Amino acid sequence: MSTDFITVVSGLPRSGTSLMMQMLQSAGMAVVSDGERTPDADNPKGYLEFEAAKKLKQDASWVPGARGKVVKVISMLLYDLPPEFEYRVIFMRRHMDEILASQKEMLKRRGTLDESTAADAAMRKHFENHLVKIGEWLAARPHFKVLEVDYNAIMAGNDDGVRAVEDFLGGAVTAAGMKGAIDAALYRNRR
Amino acid sequence: MFGSRSHKISIESDLFERLEKAAQVAGYSSADEFIIHILEKTAPAEASADSEDEVRKRLQGLGYLE
Repeated sequence: MSTDFITVVSGLPRSGTSLMMQMLQSAGMAVVSDGERTPDADNPKGYLEFEAAKKLKQDASWVPGARGKVVKVISMLLYDLPPEFEYRVIFMRRHMDEILASQKEMLKRRGTLDESTAADAAMRKHFENHLVKIGEWLAARPHFKVLEVDYNAIMAGNDDGVRAVEDFLGGAVTAAGMKGAIDAALYRNRR
Repeated sequence: MFGSRSHKISIESDLFERLEKAAQVAGYSSADEFIIHILEKTAPAEASADSEDEVRKRLQGLGYLE
């Protein structure tokens, strides 16, 4: 496959980024992951994350080695990706109600739910502002190509997003290979 | 994308040529990218900054940010 670009799976936490990582891995794509964040109740099939991606601002030395592979970088950290590389960003979108509900469950389980932090309505607005801002930021940078993928549509059995990913990555993965990782039984925290 | 809107502004040729040269020296791929970067750094970002702070706090709680 092409090693000219780095594939990035991004979006808000709980928007389906782990599912997309699993789909790409299932289709044979090499994943940049350290396995440090192990599967748990929130993500029984694993997160496929890379701890170093959380410290991009301090150390981006691993980025060149990600060419031809896929790495998960949440939307807030896209700002820190070094501009001298080409990125294809698969940006996951999910109904905001579900994202907020799923995040709340995760915060409870982690024991980090702070009742003083923004309520759902305010948090929704903050996330929407953030999504507009990062969208504009990405659109202004030609080294980023972005594909938005609708998590809810995938879980509803709509293949359009999966086929779009196949096209977006230039045939590096097949839709059939990706679909093997979709497990509707894990579609939880809808509200 | 993401519900964003683009706006066009006019810049006089002399100034634009200077910006193009500055962008080249600074390693930007285009004058557009350079200009947007400067504007982002200098524009007041009230509500946006508040939102980014709240998003950061949430992401830290979820373990996605240090």
